[in-house]
Amino acid sequence: MNMHTQPQRTPAETALIDAFGDRLSLLPGDGAVMLKRDDAIEAIKHGLPTRRIESWHYTDLRRLLNAVPDFDPAAAAKAIAPIVDGSTVLALLNGVSSAKAPDVEGVSVQRLSEKLTDGSIAPGLDPYGSDDAIGALNTAFVADGFFVDIADGAELERPVELQNLQAGGQTHVRLPVRVGAGAKAVIVERQAGEGAALTSSVSQLVLGEGAEVTWLIVQEQPETATHLAQFKAHIGKNAKLTLFVMNAGGRLVRQEIMIKTTGEGADFKLRGINLLAGDTHTDVTMVLDHAVPHTTSTEVIRNVVTGKARGVFQGRINVHQYAQKTNAKMACNTLLLSDDGEFSTKPELEIFADDVICGHGATVTEIDHDHLFYLMARGVDEKSARGLLVKAFVAEVIEELDDEAIVEALEARLDEWFVTHG
Amino acid sequence: MPAVQDTIDRVRKIDVDQYKYGFQTEIAVDKAPKGLSEDIIRFISAKKDEPSWMLEWRLEAYRRWLTLEEPTWARVDYPKIDFQDIYYYAAPKSTPGPTSLSDVDPEILKVYEKLGIPLKEQEILAGVQKTDASDLEEVSDNVYKSGRVAVDAVFDSVSVVTTFKKELAQAGVIFCSISEAIREHPELVQKYLGSVVPTSDNFYATLNSAVFTDGSFVFVPKGVRCPMELSTYFRMNEKNTGQFERTLIIAEEGAYVSYLEGCTAPQRDENQLHAAVVELVALDDAEIKYSTVQNWYPGDAEGKGGIYNFVTKRGDCRGDRSKISWTQVETGSAITWKYPSCILRGDDSSGEFYSIAVSNGYQQVDSGTKMIHLGKNTSSRIISKGIAAGFSQNTYRGQVSAHRKATNARNFTNCDSLLIGDQCGAHTVPYMEAKNSTAQFEHEATTSKISEDQKFYVMQRGIPEEEAIALIVNGFVKDVIQQLPMEFAVEAQKLIGISLEGSVG
Repeated sequence: MNMHTQPQRTPAETALIDAFGDRLSLLPGDGAVMLKRDDAIEAIKHGLPTRRIESWHYTDLRRLLNAVPDFDPAAAAKAIAPIVDGSTVLALLNGVSSAKAPDVEGVSVQRLSEKLTDGSIAPGLDPYGSDDAIGALNTAFVADGFFVDIADGAELERPVELQNLQAGGQTHVRLPVRVGAGAKAVIVERQAGEGAALTSSVSQLVLGEGAEVTWLIVQEQPETATHLAQFKAHIGKNAKLTLFVMNAGGRLVRQEIMIKTTGEGADFKLRGINLLAGDTHTDVTMVLDHAVPHTTSTEVIRNVVTGKARGVFQGRINVHQYAQKTNAKMACNTLLLSDDGEFSTKPELEIFADDVICGHGATVTEIDHDHLFYLMARGVDEKSARGLLVKAFVAEVIEELDDEAIVEALEARLDEWFVTHG
Repeated sequence: MPAVQDTIDRVRKIDVDQYKYGFQTEIAVDKAPKGLSEDIIRFISAKKDEPSWMLEWRLEAYRRWLTLEEPTWARVDYPKIDFQDIYYYAAPKSTPGPTSLSDVDPEILKVYEKLGIPLKEQEILAGVQKTDASDLEEVSDNVYKSGRVAVDAVFDSVSVVTTFKKELAQAGVIFCSISEAIREHPELVQKYLGSVVPTSDNFYATLNSAVFTDGSFVFVPKGVRCPMELSTYFRMNEKNTGQFERTLIIAEEGAYVSYLEGCTAPQRDENQLHAAVVELVALDDAEIKYSTVQNWYPGDAEGKGGIYNFVTKRGDCRGDRSKISWTQVETGSAITWKYPSCILRGDDSSGEFYSIAVSNGYQQVDSGTKMIHLGKNTSSRIISKGIAAGFSQNTYRGQVSAHRKATNARNFTNCDSLLIGDQCGAHTVPYMEAKNSTAQFEHEATTSKISEDQKFYVMQRGIPEEEAIALIVNGFVKDVIQQLPMEFAVEAQKLIGISLEGSVG
């Protein structure tokens, strides 16, 4: 992209830069961490990304981020019940981790503020590129989070639920998780709260050889919140990652997903549903790097757009030169249910190896009239028939997760959304 | 595949670099000094005998261009172009405004002969010169049977000859060089020039608006079906010249025209710039079919030399039920940056884009289309086939958008890429933007290599590997080849064979 001179700072840019000055003395970190923070705020001083930056083409952050709330020390977020009963809950209330983590065999949990103070987390704080605005924002301001380490061979019986709950103001958290060789776990990332908050949340997952993880991101921010999130994962040899993303809230949401296969036999599955309503903007951007031979991936994204909502899905699959025998497939299907809504999609393939099978498909359409007719001919009224079809369209993705407790929990979230927005 | 084998054999005889149009012709030329300034633009305009409004238009574009930056979003990589190191005007020295073939420098005619372009169909030409109406009828009857094509030939910056002019005029069709059109039909040019690609459109289109030297102009009046295929051949000959042609095609209500362009250039070590603009306007019920066989010099085996092909092509389906169809076979150029687009403004209008992009050696192709749905019940169809071999990069970049009022917009996109070798890259970057709930967009893309099974199947029937690959590739691109006028389909198939030569093993 051309370096073009930013005409003037927007109020949001000014607010972020001022907030950094105010917060600096309160932010934990050794010398190395503080240097990374300085670099990160420098990047923000160059201006938030605009639509002229290719990766932000459909989400002009500079224009859309029009208000940045102040940090609110008085905000008190309330704890919520986990989506699956009996889960191990690690809660961040307004960006602050609970002092004592629950004791689970094979899982060690550390507060991220400690790892920032001793500097051991510093190498992981680098943004991945000049257009990584979320990474830069988070590195500049991150104050807490959880560092979770799942031991080699550990098989967790109950899900671990990482809750990031806010009640206004700003929160910036980071959730690094290491899963040891052969370990198995289900991890739920809950993003919720109330008020007009600005949150940035970065999850970093490293999967050891043969590890199997199902990671669910359930984002249900209020329609006043700005939620900027990143999920990064490295998938090791023969490891399997199933990532499920559900976006059902937020005023301005960008969920970035950066995946890299680092060992042969790695497998990645992404299943996503975006339920968009109101006057909101939701962007899911995925970059998947097939960096070694013999790795596989499939991605299925289903979107439902109502009201004045604007949705974006960008999915790029990079197949590196030596990543022969890659098998990658991606599909993005959208139901556009209102004339004021819009959806933009950009599925990209970047392929440098020849012995691969890669494909993507994308559709945007309204409800199939034949399906509607079929149901209505059987005495179902139009509204219920539409409801059934829309629900079936997204529920299909959830049902693919072969864990009954999780499927039920997610379907319950889905029902709740339909009750509020039906 | 006898045709392909024939091509391969012929190519082997020609040169190691396999580019058969790489010859250069010594022709006396008339050149403007190197570089770009308002004076050069005034010089070009004066050379062309242009009216003052045209000069003003050019100067305005030039002033705008000075404020623009070169686009960098495409996946192409090349050293910065020094726009002051290019000749913007080079014309073969010959009698001013040739009216017939005999006025044309015989050297130029030899070039076209080498290219195998049917310029010198003198017998038929002689027939046309008879103004007898009954003869003309006879001629029109024979048009399709004899497979005749009216040709406008553009050499460096200037259109040297246009054939079949009189016969076309009889049907009411105007087919001439754009310079001639500016002089002879200023009202049409003024009305339509820049109405599809405005002077401020993009860096290269703006540059073209300032310095374009020639190109073709086609006007098909209301209700006329153009009696023959129209065609332009572009040839870049002079060293260090840039070619900036401008094509404008207008089909009035109910008219139909099929137009084909072909291009070649000599082999040279330095890169040459080609920045063309093509504008199509289709009014109610009109149809324009535009086909391109692009074979500019792609550079040698080390990636040295070759043409930078930065082209803006756009069609405007302005009228209801109008149709514009782009077909392109891209085998040449070191760098291709080209997105033939359709603006579907009229209700029930439709746009089509069929493309084959073959890249080998160090070629870089970033091509695709834009389908902008504005009217009601508009439909578009995109079929793109990319074939990458050698060290080349082949990108499909396309946009489909439906605006708020474009109810029942319909699009189908299919882009497939084929990779031959592990040093090349194939990329697909589609943008889909729907702002209307009745829009129905489908996009599918695949990337793969030629499967061993397919190759084995063909080879075990006694066909050698190289031919087997050519056969499979031709099958792969069949959907697009079918869209080309018959004569050119054969040529395109041969070109693909030549381009892929040496990519096996």
